[in-house]
Amino acid sequence: MRIRCPYCGERDNGEFSYLGDAAPVRPDGMDASSEAMHDYVYLRDNRAGEIRELWYHAAGCRSWLVVTRDTRTHAITDVQPAREVAKTRRAETRLAETRTVTPAGSASHA
Amino acid sequence: MAEIATLWRPRGAWDLYAQIGRHGRRDGPAGLIVAPREGLALASITAADGAGDGLAEAIRARFGLSLPEPGAALFSGETGLVWSGPDQWLALAPARGDLDGLGAALQNLAAVADQSDGRAVLRLSGPDARRVLEKGVSVDLHPRAFAAGRTAVTAVAHIGVQLWQRDDRPTYELAVARSFAGSLWSWLEEAAAEFGCEVRASA
Repeated sequence: MRIRCPYCGERDNGEFSYLGDAAPVRPDGMDASSEAMHDYVYLRDNRAGEIRELWYHAAGCRSWLVVTRDTRTHAITDVQPAREVAKTRRAETRLAETRTVTPAGSASHA
Repeated sequence: MAEIATLWRPRGAWDLYAQIGRHGRRDGPAGLIVAPREGLALASITAADGAGDGLAEAIRARFGLSLPEPGAALFSGETGLVWSGPDQWLALAPARGDLDGLGAALQNLAAVADQSDGRAVLRLSGPDARRVLEKGVSVDLHPRAFAAGRTAVTAVAHIGVQLWQRDDRPTYELAVARSFAGSLWSWLEEAAAEFGCEVRASA
């Protein structure tokens, strides 16, 4: 299996190490219920099909990557730098928060 | 403490390993020419978050070079910048002290760390240089994929290395963490044996 690193190009998978599912987002440990933390730390789906997962290009550019891979075929359809994915997610979260706190009706003046 | 002073002598990273002379196959011209590069000034540069154009300008002012794009290595004579990861570069200059003051010049724009004693660098040339390297790296070094001015951070025999191509003959340079110089050398000597290997004095 080879992974096309967005920085280094196509590389042997021996250069990478595997973390797992990229979907879980760490809850705020001070506020979250123990069930939510248990879910985040231990519970994973075992999908037959496409999954987004975290790989680390340890022997290359030392970047974390979000790889979209089909667990049935190992076909990789997308690879993105994890920091770009995180930045996008943060921006989306901020946008959602802004929307929540905007008083009703004020959006038309934006 | 004079007796202690006599124990400590500066030693090149390759002194114990790359012995000057012919190694491996004895007949015919050597397929690989190795020149250790001792005494270089090396520094890693890591861009500060959002440093952007300011860093590029400061680098241009200092080196007269632009910041290399991913996978690129730019040289002006023996001074150069080699991309080494997202927002990271390795700066090289021919003599110790050449990069003094770089940290101050890039203050607030980048983190600069001296690597002069941290990395060991070899220059590899000769008609079989590419064939020797291809035995160790899983990067396509064929001219259609890799040429002068390209760099790769990868591994040789499980040892992390950074290599870049200097010219189209081709000449390569290979940097490795200094403490791995001996391990890398044992791979290189073995890999080059079938082609014949000539070690020359430090370039």
